[in-house]
Amino acid sequence: MLEIEDVEFAYGGSVAVAGCTFSVEQGQVTGLIGPNGAGKSTLLEIIAGGLIPSRGKLVFDGVEIQGVGRAKVAQLGIIRTFQTTRELSRLPVLENVVFAAPNQTGENVLASLFRRRSWAAQEAQLRVRAEELLEWVGLTRLREEPAGSLSGGQRRLLEIARALMAEPKLLLLDEPSAGVFPAVRQLIARRIREIVAQGITVLVVAHNMAFLAEVADDVVVMAEGRVLRRGPLEEVRADQAVVAAYLGGGHVGGTS
Amino acid sequence: MLFFVLDLLTLGAINAIMAVGLNLQYGQAGILNFTYYTFIAIGAYIAAVTTLGKPTLTGGVEQYVLQWRLPWPLALLLAGAVAGVLGLVVVLIVIRRLRSDYLAIVTVSIGFIIWNVITNYIPLFNGSNGLFAVPYILNGATVTPIEYTLEVLVVSVVVLAACLWVARSIFRSPYGRVLRAIREDDVVAASFGKSTTGSRVWVFVIGCIMAGLAGAMLVFYISAWNPAGFLPQESFILMAAIVIGGPGNYWGAVLGTFIFIELLSEIERFLPNVGNGAAVGAGRAILIGILLIAVVRFRPDGLIPERWLRWYKTKGPLPSGPASGDPPHLVTGRRGPHRLWGWALSRGKS
Amino acid sequence: MNLLAEAVGFGLVTAAVIALAAVGLSLQVSVTNFVNFAYGDFMTFGAYITYSANVAGLNFFPAVLVGAAGTGLLGVVSNWVIFRPLVKRKSRTLVLLICTVGLSFIVQNAMVLIWGTNSDRYTVSIGNALHIGPFLFTPGDLILIAVAFGLLALLHIFLQYTRFGTALRATSNNSDLAQACGIDTGRVITWTWAISGLFCAVAGVGLALETNTLRPALGFNELFVIFGAIILGGIGRVYGAMLGALIIGILTEVSGMFADPAYKGAIAFAVVVLVLLIRPQGLLPSRGRSA
Repeated sequence: MLEIEDVEFAYGGSVAVAGCTFSVEQGQVTGLIGPNGAGKSTLLEIIAGGLIPSRGKLVFDGVEIQGVGRAKVAQLGIIRTFQTTRELSRLPVLENVVFAAPNQTGENVLASLFRRRSWAAQEAQLRVRAEELLEWVGLTRLREEPAGSLSGGQRRLLEIARALMAEPKLLLLDEPSAGVFPAVRQLIARRIREIVAQGITVLVVAHNMAFLAEVADDVVVMAEGRVLRRGPLEEVRADQAVVAAYLGGGHVGGTS
Repeated sequence: MLFFVLDLLTLGAINAIMAVGLNLQYGQAGILNFTYYTFIAIGAYIAAVTTLGKPTLTGGVEQYVLQWRLPWPLALLLAGAVAGVLGLVVVLIVIRRLRSDYLAIVTVSIGFIIWNVITNYIPLFNGSNGLFAVPYILNGATVTPIEYTLEVLVVSVVVLAACLWVARSIFRSPYGRVLRAIREDDVVAASFGKSTTGSRVWVFVIGCIMAGLAGAMLVFYISAWNPAGFLPQESFILMAAIVIGGPGNYWGAVLGTFIFIELLSEIERFLPNVGNGAAVGAGRAILIGILLIAVVRFRPDGLIPERWLRWYKTKGPLPSGPASGDPPHLVTGRRGPHRLWGWALSRGKS
Repeated sequence: MNLLAEAVGFGLVTAAVIALAAVGLSLQVSVTNFVNFAYGDFMTFGAYITYSANVAGLNFFPAVLVGAAGTGLLGVVSNWVIFRPLVKRKSRTLVLLICTVGLSFIVQNAMVLIWGTNSDRYTVSIGNALHIGPFLFTPGDLILIAVAFGLLALLHIFLQYTRFGTALRATSNNSDLAQACGIDTGRVITWTWAISGLFCAVAGVGLALETNTLRPALGFNELFVIFGAIILGGIGRVYGAMLGALIIGILTEVSGMFADPAYKGAIAFAVVVLVLLIRPQGLLPSRGRSA
């Protein structure tokens, strides 16, 4: 579904991503792991259209997406969450979700002023769907609250609900379980499996091995900007090169 | 006494038109336009030069462009249109860098320049002497001042109602929601496929049109206009007024302008003349400055915050249990090829 | 050609004043990440303090020092009272900008209350114009250019070769990272306001001398010229501000040769607008990366 070919990105003097090549298979959850500074977040940002690689190609569903910009990437079906949650903090939770829906006919000036009927029906449908999504992640009670007043875990769930509202073909999750209670982490893992069961492809960056074990079908290990290994989590964890990249000894990952 | 009240209301209505325009630009869309008063001035000047006709030779020679004699409704619309076009030009200049401090600097500077040019280039709008004896609207020449005030009040209220309708319609629409999202976090908005620049161009232009209309009404009411009326500081004061009142809520913006632009100016007239002549005006400005900082610090959404404008009802009673089991259909087929204007509704199952 | 040389000469003097102002502002913006709209009023404040110190009996140059200290203090106090609490709460740039507008109201009108709206003058004059080579300068002009040059050179040395200067550059680049490295960003910010105030005050005095007036709106009316310089050089880039000031200063004066001098500012700014359209990040090569 997504082919990353020889992508390189340099910032100032340092090279964050160097000759990175791998592909994300449709219909599964691919994990992206690696020690700090391996370039995972940078790569995610490049995929999401926020950065332009200095070299290389990214092909999504047959379309080259490097350099097209965030909006176009999202319109093509790649939706992301953020490492530190970026909810629209002053707006109500429900608005945060409804806003994410694609192809809203009411989103231009003329329609807002003169063609109310053309979007009123769609708007009602979208709200129903948003409420269903909020119920699914357990945030219904908070739908009128400003999103900034939610706890960290609740905000992560909100980001997931929001991302799903956008009907992604490829979902990019940037550390979706960081900083949440184990119970919420398991809920998130379950929800991700349910998402994949409906045909959505997921690429998730994570550090927590327990979380990855529940969620990922396949894991790509990055170190120093390039792909080190690829395979099921168990194999990769035991691989010598991977272990060396993380700590220079000892086992990979923990329960943070 | 009646005259005073009517005068207050009329100026209040005109100031409210300005407030609504600025609410659209800054409150709803988060665009920092620090030269809003320039657009008001352009509206005033256009309305003047399209109704004044040829300059009369009595009382000195005035110079100005156009010199048309149009009926006042046409002049009013023209004023709004020209202000809107100027707004389009400005936004296209800054379009590649819509970050707030950049916008602020550039708009302030454009305001200074335009003020500079108008003051120095006399053939345009008669320089620093300005224009006067702008004809009355309706049958103003034949009625008493009180009746004229009432007439202007009625027209202003009609214009204000139209502007409020526009602001409200935008607020209560998906378009308004996109604007709010871009205002809160433009990276997130772009990450969900929203066009950040396209959406904001139009709201800026509409805000400028409203400024032009307000300027026209103002010049119809006071019959004169000159550069002293739109010094750059005026834009700052207007901005401060709506920030204190509640920028995101058009009623808040109206309230803010009413209190700080109007009420305080009127009260100035009744205070004794303290110190040098400018002391009272200076005192008012200092008060506004302190209040501005205080509001931003302690009540950042203003006196009348945006969240008081709830516009939709959510369904049914709230369930209180943990997350329910079955996942909703996540792929409804509503995503299809992205359409630029979105006229077609792709049908999907839900 | 003589006229051109003279115009360039005037341009240098104008550029000197603008450079001092623009550099002070750039320094502050680069570290604090928001533009201080009260900056013009700070300049006027410095000029007025100098005036009062001068009238009270001090000689001119010590009076300028007093003015500089006063303005630095104003900046530091403003930061302490107004900006720091808001930055602590992670307020957005927009919000801080609005605050500086409020500050501008307060400072400008306080000056109206204290010193009145009449135009004051310094007792010191800039002297008579002399021909120096192809240029036409007054002694005051030369001193101004020399002072500007000296201060900018000192700043350069400070930024590049002292530890505190390096700390300042680090903070302006990435303040979180700087803090993680152990730099006391709070102190850096305080000192930045002080230094910015120093440049600001000297610029204000220079402006008052060159235009031979001293009014509460003096600095405020120069704001757009300073902004023009900053836009040309790139917001927050100190060396860019110097370049921008030079360009605007010379452009302003030279254009006065071809068009009505009343429009000098407008023409210079038209050039800025052109740059904005073609290269919004400013004339210096960019050091960032995003899409």
